[in-house]
Amino acid sequence: MNFELTFTTEQEAFRVEVRSWLDENAPKEMEHPADPGQLSAEGYRKQRQLGRDLGEKGWLYPTYPSEYGGGGLSAEEALIIEQELDRHGFTLPPYYDSGGKLGAASIMVWGTEEQKRHFLPSIFRGEVRTWQLLTEPEAGSDLANVQTTARRDGDEYVINGQKIYVGSTHGAEMSWILVNTDPGGARHQNLSWFMVPMDLPGVSWAPMDLLFAGNERGAASGHKQTVYFENVRLPAFNLIGGENNGWRVAGTHLELEHGLMQTSLRGDSLWERVVRLYTEAQERCEPIMDCPDASTLLADMYIDSQIGRLLHMRNYWLQRTGRPVTYHGPQAYLHVKRSALRTAKALHKLFGPYALTTDADVGLEDGHVEVQQRGSIVAQHPGGTVEIQKVIMARRLGIGRAEPQKSGRLK
Amino acid sequence: MLDLALTQSQEMLRAAAREMVEREYSKEVLLQLESDDGELERSLWDKTASAGWPGILIPAKYGGEGGSLTDAAVILEELGRGPAPGIFFSTAVLGVLSLLEASSEEQQASILPRIATGEAGIALAATEARYVWKEELTRTKAVRRGDGFALNGVKLFVQDAGNANILICTATLEGGEAGLFLVDVPLSGVSIRPLPGFLSDSFEVRLDGVEVPESALMPGGWDALDSAVLKALPVLSAYQVGACERVFEMTLEYANSRIQFGLPIGRFQRVQDHVIQIVNLKDAARWTTYEALWKLDENKPDAAAAVHVCAAVAREAYYQACNAAHEVHAGLGIMREYGLTLHTRMSRTLYHYLGDPAHHKARLAAELGL
Repeated sequence: MNFELTFTTEQEAFRVEVRSWLDENAPKEMEHPADPGQLSAEGYRKQRQLGRDLGEKGWLYPTYPSEYGGGGLSAEEALIIEQELDRHGFTLPPYYDSGGKLGAASIMVWGTEEQKRHFLPSIFRGEVRTWQLLTEPEAGSDLANVQTTARRDGDEYVINGQKIYVGSTHGAEMSWILVNTDPGGARHQNLSWFMVPMDLPGVSWAPMDLLFAGNERGAASGHKQTVYFENVRLPAFNLIGGENNGWRVAGTHLELEHGLMQTSLRGDSLWERVVRLYTEAQERCEPIMDCPDASTLLADMYIDSQIGRLLHMRNYWLQRTGRPVTYHGPQAYLHVKRSALRTAKALHKLFGPYALTTDADVGLEDGHVEVQQRGSIVAQHPGGTVEIQKVIMARRLGIGRAEPQKSGRLK
Repeated sequence: MLDLALTQSQEMLRAAAREMVEREYSKEVLLQLESDDGELERSLWDKTASAGWPGILIPAKYGGEGGSLTDAAVILEELGRGPAPGIFFSTAVLGVLSLLEASSEEQQASILPRIATGEAGIALAATEARYVWKEELTRTKAVRRGDGFALNGVKLFVQDAGNANILICTATLEGGEAGLFLVDVPLSGVSIRPLPGFLSDSFEVRLDGVEVPESALMPGGWDALDSAVLKALPVLSAYQVGACERVFEMTLEYANSRIQFGLPIGRFQRVQDHVIQIVNLKDAARWTTYEALWKLDENKPDAAAAVHVCAAVAREAYYQACNAAHEVHAGLGIMREYGLTLHTRMSRTLYHYLGDPAHHKARLAAELGL
């Protein structure tokens, strides 16, 4: 066994190259945002520029084939890029881009050669940023209960309906969407998956006022939206994977979203902040709060973060070595969600009302602790609620079933 | 290169250990062991010994395999599936590590070969009435008498003392520090009494003026013992991991075969929750345990923190996995002949053994500088 991510000399040389490039090019004022939901237009412009710069080097989607605009790099090199971006408080990509992270995987599996060449290069080079449009007012945990429709009309489809809890503040060039193409058809066999340019007539969106909008460790770019489709005419070319095959196309990116893409093999910056706060208060002999079980709370928090790290490391290793990955993704995701609430409670007990304010004088760590108090609640449902993660686990483990459920196609 | 698989030889060891546990430690045998006076366990121990496993951690020069802690953990994980009794851990893991950390060359040369052949069984008699893992709470006294020492005191909750022929006893020396004594049993003044009830293989050991020679005192003291325990802990956690795996298998099988309301009960999400909880507990225990083993085998400087993490996690995991399994099994689970209670009983016994989760969290906090 070896629990260490080790890299070859060539890979370490690559790290040096990435590091020095980032030191030169990463926008300093954008680093380590406490609340990535609060993103100005200027900040967004800088993030997009960083994305394009990374894309040009093949570092934005490093593991995808270079013939489609990806980096053609190894998983280890991709990890190095992630680790180096993490030093600056950026994720990969440095902004919310569900289209690239999830949608591109579905296009790789289900798209035709022509579709791959049409849609992927601009995403992989950072020229196009893409939203994922799945959730609807009547399709939450029951994600297949899609009411948005697409009706075939000649060489086009006409889309009507709405998606909620999606996107980010500053718009996007593209989206991918799950729609109903056979309203009378059997469940799961009535859905289709499309790529949608967001500048088509009839597409509009309005921001939602939510408790917190950040997600995936700083990957957010502002607030969530409700997106409306009113007689939007879309070329039939944009249908990926064939009509009424959308649930299987979605199975690919849902597989990834359910715990297989948050590799979390990077450091735990919140833990480091909390330990610093705590030990500094101890050294001053001025505990912020009189908390008798402080060291146990911190030990529990540490244990939770170690379990999360190890479950993600296991998943990464299973994928890398071609071993079966079944219940493992949702298990890691479940742990992340549940432990976030435990951590929030521990921080609240440790720091009391200090944990809840962003005030410049009395707030903690430039708002990072306060953001976790809100973010941990919001983190319970993206990519499926805690209960949905358990449903998937039960199916994959074969609890109460003759045969365990198969995983979504990743290749 | 990240590699979470066992080596090929560890996989072979695992297969052989699983085969042996299934053959020798059947449910029927384990139920019999619950009321055994020691003879049956002794004969099972002889069979384990003939496979060479008691020597897994013993250096080759003393007739052992010179294996890594991970090698030992592979065997312990399979024993946990039984759950096979603890004399293997007490002797081949905790006993051997204590001797390697604390005893002299002569002591090692005299005892380790006898462990490797299965002749010697060891039990660590360190805890007392005030059941805390602390040197200064050792009340048993060692006083100089002639060329040796006289030991007086009561050791409590000593695992596997009934099947050992050598006890490692802690006793306070005249300077106030704890000394480690090798006490051959049976011996005049040593009385060993099993503690009945919901404990597995736990004993009281009374030392009434027990006379031991000077050569019984090990050169290493409490610190040496502590570092032996640190190495033994994740190997014990591996036993709990294997036990959790078996509890999971039993529970999944039952959830899928038991029909109520016309359906396998595993169709009900409240039942599924219990099974999922067991999976989450066992996987958390597995990966924290094997990382700690790897860190110890590789002499990583932060190994101690990883050990206390896995010790806290694996104890809790086994305990809670059994609770969840009982929820699913209901009446059947409490029928002794079904076999789940073998695990439940062991999960309780091991919960506090070598420090309960609260103890390990406190040690973890200290390691992290909190």
